[in-house]
Amino acid sequence: MDQRGLSKTYKAVKIKVGGRVQGVGFRPYVFSLAKRWQLNGTIQNNSDKVIIHVEGEEYSIEHFLHHLKESPPLLAKITNLEHQPTVYKSYQQFSILESDLTGSPLPAISADSAVCQDCLNELNDPSNRRYHYPFINCTQCGPRYTILEKLPYDRKHTTMHSFMMCEDCLEEYGDPMNRRHHAQPTCCAKCGPSLSLVNQKREVIAEGESAIRGTIDALTEGRIISIKGLGGYHLACDMKQPYAITHLREIKSRPTRPLAVMMRSLEIVKQYCHVSLKEEELLTSPIMPIVVLKQKINRSLPNELAPGLTTLGVMLPYTPLHYLLFKLGGLEGIVLTSANSSGLPIKYHDKDLFEKGGLSEFSLTHNRVIKNPLDDSVVEVNGLDETYLRKARGFVPEPIKTTIDTSGIVALGGQQKNTFSIGIGEHILMSPHIGEVDNEEMLDHFIQQIGVYKRIVNIDMDHVAIDKHLGYSVNKLAKDLSPNVVTVGHHHAHHVACMEDNGVVDPCVGIILDGTGYGEDGHIWGFEFLYGDAAAYKRLAHMCYCPLPGGEMAVKEPWRTASGMILHHWPKEGQEMAERLFPDKKAEISILKKMVKLKINSPMAGTCGRLFDTVSAILGVCLKSSYEGEAAIKLAGYMNENYLNARSIEKVAQSYPFKIIQSAKGPFQLDFSPMISQIIQEKEQLQLEEIIYKFHQTVVLSCVEMILALYKEKAWLPKRIVLSGGSFQNGYLSRELSNSLKQKGFKVYAHQQIPCHDGGLSFGQLIIAAHKVKNEKLK
Amino acid sequence: MVQRISLAHGEGGELTHQLIQEVFMSAFSSKKEIQHDSAVFPIEGKRIAVTTDSYVVQPIFFPGGNIGKLAITGTVNDLAVCCAVPKMITAGFILEEGFALSDLNKIVHSMAEEAKAANVKIVAGDTKVVEKGSADGIFINTTGIGAISEQVCSPAIKKGDCVVVSGTIGDHGIAILSARNQLGLLTDVQSDCASLHSLIQSLLEQVDGIRLMRDPTRGGLATSLVELCEDFQFSVELEEDLIPIRREVTGACNILGFDPLYLANEGKVVIVCDSTNKDKVIEIMQNHKYGEEAKVIGKVISVNDSNGKLYSRTQIGTTRRIHRLNGMILPRIC
Ligand SMILES: [Fe+3]
Ligand SMILES: [Mg+2]
Ligand SMILES: [Zn+2]
Ligand SMILES: [Zn+2]
Repeated sequence: MDQRGLSKTYKAVKIKVGGRVQGVGFRPYVFSLAKRWQLNGTIQNNSDKVIIHVEGEEYSIEHFLHHLKESPPLLAKITNLEHQPTVYKSYQQFSILESDLTGSPLPAISADSAVCQDCLNELNDPSNRRYHYPFINCTQCGPRYTILEKLPYDRKHTTMHSFMMCEDCLEEYGDPMNRRHHAQPTCCAKCGPSLSLVNQKREVIAEGESAIRGTIDALTEGRIISIKGLGGYHLACDMKQPYAITHLREIKSRPTRPLAVMMRSLEIVKQYCHVSLKEEELLTSPIMPIVVLKQKINRSLPNELAPGLTTLGVMLPYTPLHYLLFKLGGLEGIVLTSANSSGLPIKYHDKDLFEKGGLSEFSLTHNRVIKNPLDDSVVEVNGLDETYLRKARGFVPEPIKTTIDTSGIVALGGQQKNTFSIGIGEHILMSPHIGEVDNEEMLDHFIQQIGVYKRIVNIDMDHVAIDKHLGYSVNKLAKDLSPNVVTVGHHHAHHVACMEDNGVVDPCVGIILDGTGYGEDGHIWGFEFLYGDAAAYKRLAHMCYCPLPGGEMAVKEPWRTASGMILHHWPKEGQEMAERLFPDKKAEISILKKMVKLKINSPMAGTCGRLFDTVSAILGVCLKSSYEGEAAIKLAGYMNENYLNARSIEKVAQSYPFKIIQSAKGPFQLDFSPMISQIIQEKEQLQLEEIIYKFHQTVVLSCVEMILALYKEKAWLPKRIVLSGGSFQNGYLSRELSNSLKQKGFKVYAHQQIPCHDGGLSFGQLIIAAHKVKNEKLK
Repeated sequence: MVQRISLAHGEGGELTHQLIQEVFMSAFSSKKEIQHDSAVFPIEGKRIAVTTDSYVVQPIFFPGGNIGKLAITGTVNDLAVCCAVPKMITAGFILEEGFALSDLNKIVHSMAEEAKAANVKIVAGDTKVVEKGSADGIFINTTGIGAISEQVCSPAIKKGDCVVVSGTIGDHGIAILSARNQLGLLTDVQSDCASLHSLIQSLLEQVDGIRLMRDPTRGGLATSLVELCEDFQFSVELEEDLIPIRREVTGACNILGFDPLYLANEGKVVIVCDSTNKDKVIEIMQNHKYGEEAKVIGKVISVNDSNGKLYSRTQIGTTRRIHRLNGMILPRIC
């Protein structure tokens, strides 16, 4: 009897919780929460929600709800929570009901998660039965999507079905109060997967803990080892041994592109890199992505890790196996990069790893099968904003709410950094980052990934959306998927991807700063001011066109793009100007001049990416790029605050001249030739950093002025602006442009969860196709 | 919008293919014949081959030949790859008002010379002169008639069959390009323009198991092989490393951003043959002055492929799908 007498009221409520609430330990959590507040009732999963019925004292129910909202399980992500009074049923206890799969078919697939603190504590406890067991996991951590064969997510539908749980594990699995209650991949040394270290002939050299110790020894000796991770094999070597890194680069045919490292602990990371609070939060989150950090100036890490860059991609040990690799030895960090030759798909089956003897002498492998391959995610932080350069492990595949019905549509994205998207009701499922799809191996991989989705979420494909570029490899797949092909303009897709990412549906202005995309007039676009929505758009302005002598070759060799621009703007003295800038390309430049004049293999382009390339080449920062975006990435590297401070570069608000060419009929144009000529002059007088700083400010200013000019002429334009395109991976550009426009009174939308680069194309394509399909139906 | 003919319709690539399929084949309702460079049919018990071709090359004089020589070799080769022995050629000339007679003389003489070397007779001709501006100097059309030889190809392609090319590719394309535009490419690459009937005849006489032949002219080796793969329903994998290309051609391509697989050739033949006879094929070719650099460049990886495809293994170990020449190739990389 309550001490306060008879004043207490009994109530019953029905609670519906949506979002990521399955496979994340939600039910055991609710179970213990109900116990704690002495509430009875039931909890049941249905296809896309968790339904809770609790009854008891009103006061307790309020506390129960408060906790549910404020401190859900670590991996849960509640997107909506509704509750309403219901009939009191006088339950005698709280119980978990069998799942009801009759609800809406929206798939709830959990993402793989880094090992949790509770599991780490057990891993380190000699008295625990999972002491040093490299596959320890629980409802709060461990593999999910990578082992999933089909839905619903149940042990029998994962690759763990081949391991029979021992009695101890089974007991934990069945106990609603245990944190391994319904932890589908749960296991222990007695019943679960095991490790082995094998040589190139696949002979086992060591097993269990000695396999880990053997791996540590080999890494310490400077060898390259393949290590089976969550979503595929990595190639690893000691991050401190330049020779080993060079060797690894040779094996992988990846001469200069930066490599990611996994470091022992946050403390070690802080020794080598600057880590902001936001970066720390990301590094240690359950996603544990690769975070692109700024290296400390007096860093002692080998330059071979990220040649010519001031940044370094760093992650922390995210599986118990990785954790043990550090715990049982003295390594501070290891290079960890996917175990495949550059340009080929990630390897995740033993048979592929050992193809042609494999890439490394030894491999640390295990018998938990990876069903769905997955790369590591990569994120970069600008101030408080995070920009995902690659979304994969820890993210996918999570349905993203849309503003329109997308059923039956699949969008194939672009050529590089590619993803595909699949429509399902008012949601989109986006594939993980797949990468550049330009060879048959990657194309097969891409098709296979679409197959994974078809297997997991049984959907129809009535329409397929693709880019308008005829040469994109994935476009050749469209006809096989569906006869109804919708082609979408590259920059329209970027524009709409950003609108939808922010829930904007009314027409708005978009500034799309990008690499090279196919434009509707047959030229190459990428510095665009658009106005429109998913149904239609208009091009308001763009950067003026310059030739790219050699086509794709120019994109790989920024000195060509620079020469093309110079030869175009200064037909007379351009040759001499270019020759002075690139003295060892004299012979080529005279040919380039003729190519430009005679229009031989010299497509016309006006793109931000190529503008960055031009400046990068003129300043000698990057003449030839050995990986995608190298010239722009290196240029942006000079904008690193710590670096600028250390070199005491004055950050004065200065910019270069440029011209806005207004036109009554066609779009306005931006002409950067005055800037180019001044940069060439100042190259000899100013420090590189100052020029690069001024250049960045010019790009920002040119966009702001163009916007003002456009609004002056078209006062009716809405004051909403979306920012999209690959150039916004440049933190300075996105931050400064967004701030400057906000100061002028515009509402500015940058990307949230969808990548600004071509990884976001499929998302935009799908929305545009959905509008087209809807409009056709209305007709 | 009125659809009009663009220059790309004449490049021998995707648009040419569409033009042939959608305009000519549907109107002339001829299917089988167009699979080959010549039409083969019987007349009074003898099988003969007929082909026709127009020559509009610019410049008309180029390193390694001129439009007249090309008008003979091109037609001779189209007959030869259909296993025909070239016998007769007719020639039609369209001359622009003001064209130099001396140039015409040079051109006609090289035609006569090349015809003699190829052992064909020029049996009939026609001349039209058009107003200045209606043509560009000189256009030539030749029609060739050949007798089908006793030894013919049998296109019973098998998995594992070899793909052989008779020499370096891209020479003609680069020679014409640098002659036309005075690009200042530091090459003295000559057009490979040559009559291949004797090389092809010796192959047919001395080796069994020659399945198919094609002269990879417009659209280059790539387009020719794609067409063979589609028409005869098999797939081929080339080894990029093995394809013979002159250093100067590679150099020029590196500057211009061209892919040598798409450059025109005027004196090369590509052959699909039984792999057991490949050494013999190579030996015969290499002993001939027009086949000294013959190489096996790939193999048939599947047959009865309703959707025959051409692939290439690249130097970095990836597989590239090769399509027909498709207008100007716009950059795809960001
Ligand atoms: Fe793009
Ligand atoms: Mg011909
Ligand atoms: Zn855990
Ligand atoms: Zn167990």
